[in-house]
Amino acid sequence: MTTLVTASGLTKKYGDLVAVDGISFEIREGECFGFLGPNGAGKTTTVRMIHCVSPVTSGTLTVGGLPSGIGNRALKMMTGVIPQEINLDNDLTVHENLVVFARFFDIGRREARVRIAELLRFVELEAKVGSKISELSTGMKRRLLIARALVNRPRLIVADEPTTGLDPQARHLIWQRLRQLKTQGTTLVLTTQYMEEAQQLCDRIVVMYQGKILKEGTPSKLVEEEIGREVVEVRIPQEDDERVLRHLAAFPCAHERVGDTLYFYCRDGHGLMRRLLELDLPNTLNRPATLEDVFLKLTGRSLHE
Amino acid sequence: MSLSYRIAYVFLRNLYSYKRFIVPTFLVSLVEPLFYLITFGVGMGAYMGAFGGKPYLHFLVPGVLASAVMMSSSFECLYGTYIKIVHEKVYDSLIATPVSADEAVAGDIAWGSFRGLVSGTLMMSVALLMGVAPASPVRLALLLVFMVFIGVLFGSLAMIVTSVAPSFDFFSYYTELVITPMLFFSGVFFPLDNFPPWMKTLAEFLPLTHAVRISRAVFTGEPAAGLGWSFAGLIVLTAVIFTISIRMMRKRLIK
Ligand SMILES: Nc1ncnc2c1ncn2[C@@H]1O[C@H](COP(=O)(O)OP(=O)(O)OP(=O)(O)O)[C@@H](O)[C@H]1O
Ligand SMILES: [Mg+2]
Repeated sequence: MTTLVTASGLTKKYGDLVAVDGISFEIREGECFGFLGPNGAGKTTTVRMIHCVSPVTSGTLTVGGLPSGIGNRALKMMTGVIPQEINLDNDLTVHENLVVFARFFDIGRREARVRIAELLRFVELEAKVGSKISELSTGMKRRLLIARALVNRPRLIVADEPTTGLDPQARHLIWQRLRQLKTQGTTLVLTTQYMEEAQQLCDRIVVMYQGKILKEGTPSKLVEEEIGREVVEVRIPQEDDERVLRHLAAFPCAHERVGDTLYFYCRDGHGLMRRLLELDLPNTLNRPATLEDVFLKLTGRSLHE
Repeated sequence: MSLSYRIAYVFLRNLYSYKRFIVPTFLVSLVEPLFYLITFGVGMGAYMGAFGGKPYLHFLVPGVLASAVMMSSSFECLYGTYIKIVHEKVYDSLIATPVSADEAVAGDIAWGSFRGLVSGTLMMSVALLMGVAPASPVRLALLLVFMVFIGVLFGSLAMIVTSVAPSFDFFSYYTELVITPMLFFSGVFFPLDNFPPWMKTLAEFLPLTHAVRISRAVFTGEPAAGLGWSFAGLIVLTAVIFTISIRMMRKRLIK
């Protein structure tokens, strides 16, 4: 697979604030590449540099071999952007939003009409073609953002938290559409805070925190490497930790105390669980490890603001 | 500067959005000229006698024409553009497409100028109905072209204010401290001849003074002193202000 996006020592500063701190990564043509991270990690800042709306402070960033930059129309021509903030044109109808966008990309009137009909079908908004934006639900708005991002038949799609604030049905519909695009060969750059989303869509992910990349890999490999296969949660007062840990000493599991819970990260959760039951604790849980555990382990379990 | 035919796309976007507001804005644009022409022109004009051999309205109309264009284009590039940047995020979605920030701004200035032209044309229509007409049809056409030009001038000037505006309230400084005074010191309603010398000098620094002078000369067909200088000055000023406005907006839009 060829590389579509290459970043090396990519840095973005806003005054004194370092929003993106010398990160390097490669995105291959045709894959879905995910940026995971808590609020303020620098995900949006990074993808905005990729789609050429924010200048790079230092380091290099190329897309399709061309240096990314504000004035790079060729890159903007081949990129579709689904922004984090819904910025549909509220003065225009659903249809007009797409018509105007098609013009921005030099798409002729007749061609635009065909594509718009096709796209409205793709995102299941045919019935809303003449509606005002204010008459749409959040899910519909997000779907329209997808349609708008596809007007220019992009080779690269940048989706910044495309399912934030949606109910499960709406979220699954968007996931299906994004997967469909991927099977058609489109490269997808996704940012998300939802671990399930990353697991559902991404071939490879990076976990970002405070402007840096902490880890990179496939979702399953990251879980395996960082956590193991299973997690056991024990909700006990901290005073009891020592007693429990002594009892479980034979098991090679990493453990962590966070708030009211003691976490064990294991390869063999069942064995640990069986031994734990001997203590007859009221509140224990054995579950498969998820990307969420990786995320929380890497970026800490406390709130970031 | 990165400007291309894509400016027209931005204009088109505004035209689409305008469809919904066209009737109310026409009404507003009509009320203002009626207000000026009736109160000042008809009401006050009755006490003014003849102005250079003609009724006062013939003096007033070309001046009010220029100021109406100034008002409309300014307001569009102040409030209209601010809403598009801060509230509606239209600029955010624009600059992610092949349309550049420069083109987005230039498109909005063109739009402001168009809104000025609409106001000016409505004003002119009212004047024509009242029997106040330019000296010839060619002069009428020239006036329309001139309106587009001063629309670009005042639209760009307003754009500079918008580029640094932290909030909506900021605009009232500009309208109260610059636009409104300009209306009274630029010879729109009465000739500047009786001003003390320092006020006359001050007036020469106001772009509207020159716009009114040219508008009046074109309208009446009577040449005025320093017309060439006024015109040359306005052209240079417009080029400079347009360039500055694009630069400053670029700073606001690209982070
Ligand atoms: N225009 C800006 N000016 C100044 N600072 C900014 C600007 N945009 C972002 N930042 C700062 O850069 C840092 C990274 O922000 P960014 O929006 O990239 O985070 P994020 O990972 O997308 O977060 P979220 O999940 O909340 O969207 C934050 O500290 C933010 O405050
Ligand atoms: Mg973000």
